[in-house]
Parts: sequence; structure tokens; C-alpha cells
Amino acid sequence: MQIDFNARELTIKLVYYGPALSGKTTNLQAIHKLVGAESTGRLMTLETRDDRTLFFDLLPLSFASDSGVKIRFKLFTVPGQVIHNATRRLVLQGADGTAFIADSQKSETKANQDAFLNMRQNLKENGIDPKTHPLVVQFNKRDLPDIRSDEEIDRLAKAGKEPVFKAIALRGVGVLDTFFGLAKLSLENLEDQYALKSKFGIETNALLTQMRTKFGGRSGA
Amino acid sequence: MNLTESAAIDLSLGDIKALDQVIDREALTDLANSLFDLFSISLRIYSARGALLAQAQEEAAIHAFLRQSERASQALLEDIEGVSALIPEDEVAVYDEVTGARYQVIPLAYQGRPVGRCVLGPYLPAELSEVPKKLLKLDSALGREEILAALMEMPRVREGTIVEISNHVRCVLELLLFSNHRAFLTSEMHLASVRENYRELAQKTEKLQDAYDRLKELDKLKSNFLATISHELRTPLTSIIGYSEMLEAGLGGDLSPDQREFVETIHTKGDELLALISSLLDLSKLEQGVLRIHTEPTAPAALIERLADTFVPAAHKKSIDVQQKIEADLPKLRVDPVRFHQILSNLAENAIKFTPENGVVRFEAELGEMTQGEDDGGFGAVLLNIATPAVVFRISDTGPGIPSEALPRIFDAFYQVDGTSTREHGGTGLGLSIVKKLVDAHQGKVSVESTVGKGTQFRIAIPLSAESA
Repeated sequence: MQIDFNARELTIKLVYYGPALSGKTTNLQAIHKLVGAESTGRLMTLETRDDRTLFFDLLPLSFASDSGVKIRFKLFTVPGQVIHNATRRLVLQGADGTAFIADSQKSETKANQDAFLNMRQNLKENGIDPKTHPLVVQFNKRDLPDIRSDEEIDRLAKAGKEPVFKAIALRGVGVLDTFFGLAKLSLENLEDQYALKSKFGIETNALLTQMRTKFGGRSGA
Repeated sequence: MNLTESAAIDLSLGDIKALDQVIDREALTDLANSLFDLFSISLRIYSARGALLAQAQEEAAIHAFLRQSERASQALLEDIEGVSALIPEDEVAVYDEVTGARYQVIPLAYQGRPVGRCVLGPYLPAELSEVPKKLLKLDSALGREEILAALMEMPRVREGTIVEISNHVRCVLELLLFSNHRAFLTSEMHLASVRENYRELAQKTEKLQDAYDRLKELDKLKSNFLATISHELRTPLTSIIGYSEMLEAGLGGDLSPDQREFVETIHTKGDELLALISSLLDLSKLEQGVLRIHTEPTAPAALIERLADTFVPAAHKKSIDVQQKIEADLPKLRVDPVRFHQILSNLAENAIKFTPENGVVRFEAELGEMTQGEDDGGFGAVLLNIATPAVVFRISDTGPGIPSEALPRIFDAFYQVDGTSTREHGGTGLGLSIVKKLVDAHQGKVSVESTVGKGTQFRIAIPLSAESA
């Protein structure tokens, strides 16, 4: 995170992590489409080849809160393919929160697990403690056959501590919920660390309500 | 790209703080000029900190005219300051100057952050129908007709058009920013990834180097251990062999036939054990480079004949035919006769061991040639593959042959083609390794050709010494 007291501006970095082809870029594309043009800049895609991300995608979101503080979100994706680990580690630098995009298909169970362990390792190598790092999990591609069932995911989610979301990113379903879920955790964590409320007059819940109104205008797919 | 300021860009957030961090001033000037060429409207581009980055302008005729008057000049100066002080937040701001001309001040934002502004103008709104009264009142000395004439030289633009123009300028600048920012991040990411990969590799290399150093140390310990243990084993063994010889010779009294047979077995097996220990000792000496080679001029024919004398009895026991072929008048070689006999013996022993009954083993010596260097698929052949005269020894058998995948490893110490515990033939796997090292010590070359099911041929080439060549 970056705080600019003079400009009354807060920049929060959120990273979309996950195995190759799980829909990280699709999440950002959907958010870009759903959020009003006044809140978002162009979606920047760095170096793609055959529709696979090589470096990262970057979606900037920004809005002015009622307290007059400008909140900027920088949404990044990492390249999912195993060989790009150095890039993933670089993108994860200074992340304030991470959304792990898992592929719901049963056949992808191992790929999800490997990517998750890789994320944990890279967080550690960046000096971020995975235990306290704001993290949400999204099960994407809920419209595909042979997926892990809702019941099973709910049962597994109960045992874990991360909020779990279900999505069909291609159709924009669940992507904003995931984003808001992650934003909430990240803001709460930043509040704990930097006392945003006393310094900035930012109150997390009020901020989230404003965000939902401003960003969520076109959601509901 | 403005490289001097690139360090100010935060890669981890992918942020830029100012326009000129990712766009160079020349490109901005080109943009301003092309707009001026098209509409004759001046354009100035400022950074967020208020620095003028680029401009294209001509002094308006009305401004030049008004400068004749001190009061009018003062009013113009105030307007210039007024335009400069106007810093719009989100929307385009409009400034009307005393002449009735207008400026559009366009805020530039990038990824939710102000990065600078553009000042478009002055232009005369097409909708303006008459000369503003305050302009006429500025200085009564200035003639109304002249003011009007000068004012009419200013570009007249309809409000709808100017909105389109400013939108266009804004759009082009933001696109430039976006694409330059992307190119910048891409190149930074490239560099960062390369650095990160390098760091990772360097770390791994260090670990490997440590492991390698440890293994080398262990290998040295192993060689020392081999040398020591071989030496220590030999001492008691000499007594075992010596006393069994004495018993055989009857120094301890007459032996019964059974006792004699047992003692003979002790003697033979003791000799075998001694030979094995000697090879181990040789190997460790060779590996440590401390084995001395005492060369002397030696006739190749004598070497082959001695070899045949040693191995014919054993071959005949297996009904193996030993054939010899020695080219006449071979020059003498500078070799260590004891060690060279060891080379040939190791090969001959293998040949006989692996050749089935009624097979053939051939010992040959002839004049030939050898090349320096390894066979690298012709790499540098023009320099390296220069043949020098040599005496070539060949030891061939009609044994089972060696599979091609095993060939590259047969000279490794302890390697055996049949490494199973149930293998048919004994041996330690040291023979060929010793052969290779001894041949190397003679500056020679050993090679092997083998066909599975037909047999194997070892070729040893020893260069002719200067005096014999």
C-alpha cells in the first residue's frame, strides 16, 4: 500500500493469483466491463502470447470517498504457467491482498493445490506472512461439467478461514463479490496496521458501501 | 522515454506520477505542432508540478497590438497569470481573457491520478458577436478599427468544435501515456524477471558448487582410504602367500594329497587377492597422479609375444584359438614395459574371459596413426584431427560384445556392463579403468568397437617417439 497524506490518496495493491487458465485475466476483464468508466482506466495487458499472460494484467480502479480521500485500487494478475515463477514473485511484491482464482473442474484439483502452495512460498519469499495476509478464494467456471459441487465446496470452506466465492467470470457472475470480499479484508487489515480511521477518517464499512454503490452499478449478471 | 526519472516509477504498483516520466518532450512538442498546423490554435502542455513540457504557439495579432499600451499590457499579463493559475480537477475549465478570446484548460489524469494539464488557446469563440466593451475601454488611445482588425486574425472556433478538439487532445495524450507506460512496464518487467531468474540460478549454482566441493573432498578421502587399505591388506597377505608356498615346498614336512590341494588353493586364491589389491592400489595412485611411468625403448613384437606366452595356456584350457599378427620391422616405442604389459594383460584377460569355448582371440600390432583430441562430431577437425604416426595394438575377441549404450561408460572405475549380482563373469570393474589411465599416461589413445553377438575389439594407439619416427 501507498499512502500520500498530501494528496489524501490511498493506493491498494490486490493480486489475482491462481493456476494457468483459471480465469484471472477474465476476472479483471469482467470487472472492467462491470465498473463504470469513470472509476476505471484501461485494462493493461503486458505481453500476451496466444491469450496467455506472460507478465501481468493491470486494472486501475479509483474513486473518491465521501470523506474526500481518494482510494485507488491496482488489480494485478500473475502469469499462471509454472515457468513464470520469477514474474509471479515480482508481481506479488507489496501486495495488500490476494484473490486466489481456482478452477472448479475436478481435473484441476492438483493444479489448484500446486498454484496455492506456490503462492504461499512466493508470499513468504516476499516477506509477507501468509497467515495474516488478506486472502479470498474464488471457485471459477461454475458452469462447466465435472466440477466440485457447491455442497462440497461449502463443507470444505467451513474448515478453512478464507472467504470462498463462486463465479462464472466469463459472464461476470461473482467477480464483483470476490473483489469486494477481498477489498473488505484488505481494508480491515490496513486499518489494523495503519489506523486509517483515525488518520484519514476512513471507516471500512462505510467505504465498502460507497464502493458497492459506485463500482457495482452495472453488476447483477 | 525520460530515463533519468524512470527510477521514480514504482514498479511494484506500476504507477507513474508525472506525464514526462513516460513521454518524452519531443513527442509532446510534435503533437502540439501538428495541432497548431491543423487549427492554428496554440497548445501548451504542463506537468502536474506546473513545468511547461511542450508548446506550439504564435503570438496573436491582438496581443502584439495591445502591447503598445501599458495599461493593456498589464491587463494581458493578468490574464496570462489567470490562465496559469487555473488548475482544473476533473472537468475542462474555461478562461476568458480581456480580448474576448478564450482558453480551454484540460486536466490530464492517468489511472485515477492527475498527471498534468493542457492549455488550448487563445481562440475566438465563433459565437462572439461583438468586440467586448472592456477591451475597447482598456486604453482610449487604441483605435477601435485596428482592435477589430487584429481580433479578426485570431482563429474563430465554434464551442462544439473546441470541445471535440480538447477531447481529442486529451484522448491522444492519455493513449500515448497508456501505451508508453505499458512499454515501460514491459521492459522493466523484462529486466526484473531476468534479474530475478539470475538471482535464483546463482543461488542454485552456489548450492551445487557446495555439494560438488563436498563430493570432491569425499572422493579424495575415498582414494586415500583405498591406498591405505590396499597397502595394509597386502602385508598380511604376503605372509599368507609366503607360508603357503613354504608348505607346498615341503618346508613344514610332507603333505597328504588333500592337504597339498588345500594349500594350493590357498596359494592361488591368495595370488588372486593380491592382484586385486594391486589393481586397487594402482587405480588410487593413478587417480592421485602419483604412479610413476618408467619408459624405455621397447619392441612392440616383444610385448605381444610376452602377452601370448602369458595367456595361451589359459586360452587353450577353454579351447580358444589365440592368433597373433605382428607387422614386420615395427619401430621401438618408449613405454614402461611392466605397465604396458599390464594394459595388454587386462584386455587379454577380458577377451579370454568373455570368449566362449572354441572362439578366437587375436593379438595384433601394426603401424598406423592416431589423432589428438576427442571426437566432437568434427568440431575443429581441421585443426585437431591431424594424424600422427603410431603403433596400433589390437586385442579382439569373439565374445558376446558390448551393447552400444554401455560403451561410453566401460572405462569408468567399478563399472560393469552386467552389474547384476547373478552375473556370469567375475571381476571388479577396475581393469578397463586402469587400462584407460595407463594409456593416457603413455599419451596414447584407447578405443573400442563392439558388435553385440559378434565380439569386441580394443585398439590402443601409442605415438611413435621422436627418435623412432
